[in-house]
Amino acid sequence: MPSDLVVRPARPAAGWALLSSELSVLFRRRRTWAMLAALAAIPILIAVAVRLSSSPPAAGEGPPFLDRVTQNGLFVGITALVVSIPLFLPLTVGVVAGDTIAGEASLGTLRYLLVGPAGRVRLLFVKYAGAAAFCLAATMTVMLAGALIGAALFPVGPVTLLSGDTVAVAESAVRALLVAAYVTVSLLGLSAIGLFISTLTEVPVGAMAATIVLSVVAQVLDSLSQLDWLHPWLFSHYWLGFADLLRQPISWASFGDNAALQAAYVLVFGALAYGRFVTKDVLT
Amino acid sequence: MTRTWQRWLPALVVPTLIGAGALVNASQAGATVDLPDRTAAQVLAMIGESSVDALSGTLEQTSDLGLPELPTEATGAGGGTGTGGAALELLTGSHTARVYLDGPSRLRVQVLDTLAERDAIRNEREIWLYSSADNAATHIVAPADQAPADESADRTTDEQTMPGHVGTPAEVAEELLAAIDPSTRVTVGTDTVVAGRSAYELVLTPRTTQTLVGSVSIAVDSETGLPLSVAVTARGQDEPAFRIAFTQIDLSTPPAARFEFTPPPGATVTELVPDLPSAIPESGIPGSTTLLGIGRPTVSGSGWDAVVEMPLGLAATVLTDSPLLEQLTHATAGGRVLESALITVLVTDDGRILVGPVPPERLLAAAGTR
Repeated sequence: MPSDLVVRPARPAAGWALLSSELSVLFRRRRTWAMLAALAAIPILIAVAVRLSSSPPAAGEGPPFLDRVTQNGLFVGITALVVSIPLFLPLTVGVVAGDTIAGEASLGTLRYLLVGPAGRVRLLFVKYAGAAAFCLAATMTVMLAGALIGAALFPVGPVTLLSGDTVAVAESAVRALLVAAYVTVSLLGLSAIGLFISTLTEVPVGAMAATIVLSVVAQVLDSLSQLDWLHPWLFSHYWLGFADLLRQPISWASFGDNAALQAAYVLVFGALAYGRFVTKDVLT
Repeated sequence: MTRTWQRWLPALVVPTLIGAGALVNASQAGATVDLPDRTAAQVLAMIGESSVDALSGTLEQTSDLGLPELPTEATGAGGGTGTGGAALELLTGSHTARVYLDGPSRLRVQVLDTLAERDAIRNEREIWLYSSADNAATHIVAPADQAPADESADRTTDEQTMPGHVGTPAEVAEELLAAIDPSTRVTVGTDTVVAGRSAYELVLTPRTTQTLVGSVSIAVDSETGLPLSVAVTARGQDEPAFRIAFTQIDLSTPPAARFEFTPPPGATVTELVPDLPSAIPESGIPGSTTLLGIGRPTVSGSGWDAVVEMPLGLAATVLTDSPLLEQLTHATAGGRVLESALITVLVTDDGRILVGPVPPERLLAAAGTR
């Protein structure tokens, strides 16, 4: 995965060269690897803990799907995603997205990346594409690490969906990839918010913290029933809706709603980031 | 300066466009259509003539009964509160369910919860209940004689209302209207769109002011006569207190596999043998109501302000000891009252329960007269 993204066929156009250099810088950083390793540790910890515990978890105990893990190792990835969606994934995405512009500004490398106003727009696109690529890498890391450790420690067989129907291993792999795609899309809105905040400051830690705090605030607001008119507008509202892909037949409604909502966030905060970044005085 | 202003333009335009798009979308959801005018009797007859026997659709149910927010553990499906908890859970908050129907004897309902699902599947005489949260399935084989009774239940409503005489749906509708006219005003409201289908709106308004119910409105599909939504509005409120509506509907026959259920490996399977024709599977032991000493209900009043009274016996102590009831009700002279937008419940200190769509004063009066 990460390596695939780096060796994307580069056209001579400067945009693609910039993108491939951005991706290779991002995925060569030790911090990126440390975060991906921490994410991969989540399913491994879950699987090892369940394997070592003397009594298998009862139905309804612990995080959702935990009781299914002992019957079918393929659920480890899904359980790990449920666990990491509220905090770990937004945390890592916030770090990457918050660092995009502010990181370059604090290092003093931003002015060298910019030639003219067109260069700024291109840089924004490239930076956002890098953050989006990290979203995909982070989700796939959790999912793949979960599938691998689950297959190593537990039996693998037909998967029971939420509706009580069972599907074969091949179809369950397709469903797992769909879930990973859903979670990746879910994080795109947060990445756009991080990109915008990153244009506001030259202190990358501040932008990272603000992005992560926003993701927590959105989830807290989402749990207050007094604000239910606001809920469909919160970027975290559909985060756990990936369960709709584990029903029989698949319910695509939440996938569509989620994609539309995230697209709106990307457009709004992309436009804000554009407004801020092209008018920003980066040379002083 | 102008250039700066121009560069912030997208940041202004994009949110405005998205906001406008969302508004247009929302207003289209309640768009009005102009259907040929029909009288209330004609719309009622359409329901009677409805021949939809296969569909797959998504139902959305919302309740705003003005009940206090309940902790989810107390109301959750897997919670220890049993039937009462599950029933309360349906009365608060909102639910989405998918419904598949093929003929009178094949039905599947999926209640879509967050990260979980509850299924009820009926395939001829086989009935399965499945909950993914606790991975438990319940199997019931319906008695053979029950199936045909169910099969004709929908079709024979007209025969039941008028024994010995089978009228056309139009005649039945006229007679039904005449029968309920003293208590209810039936009108045809504005034409609406429900789940993308144009529909007539049948509005039932109680003539009495002694009830909490303001109006009941039923959207009837203009093509097939299938009721698409039911909304109950409390007196003096604009938004429905209870609403169940299709958000998406497809009238083609669902695939047969949808009605086949095999409990997944690892699930706990409970076999239930219904020895009473009307056994409710969830209540656990059939006949438990008689064990607890719950008597036969008596009804005082009729129509919209009817009050149902039931001696509770032993169940009263179970109810009054429940902390959930403590939380929901408030004390009044002679008992505890649960007030909601549509229904009032009074549990008296001498072990009776009174329920009715009426203000609490009427319940207290009904309790006192006995």
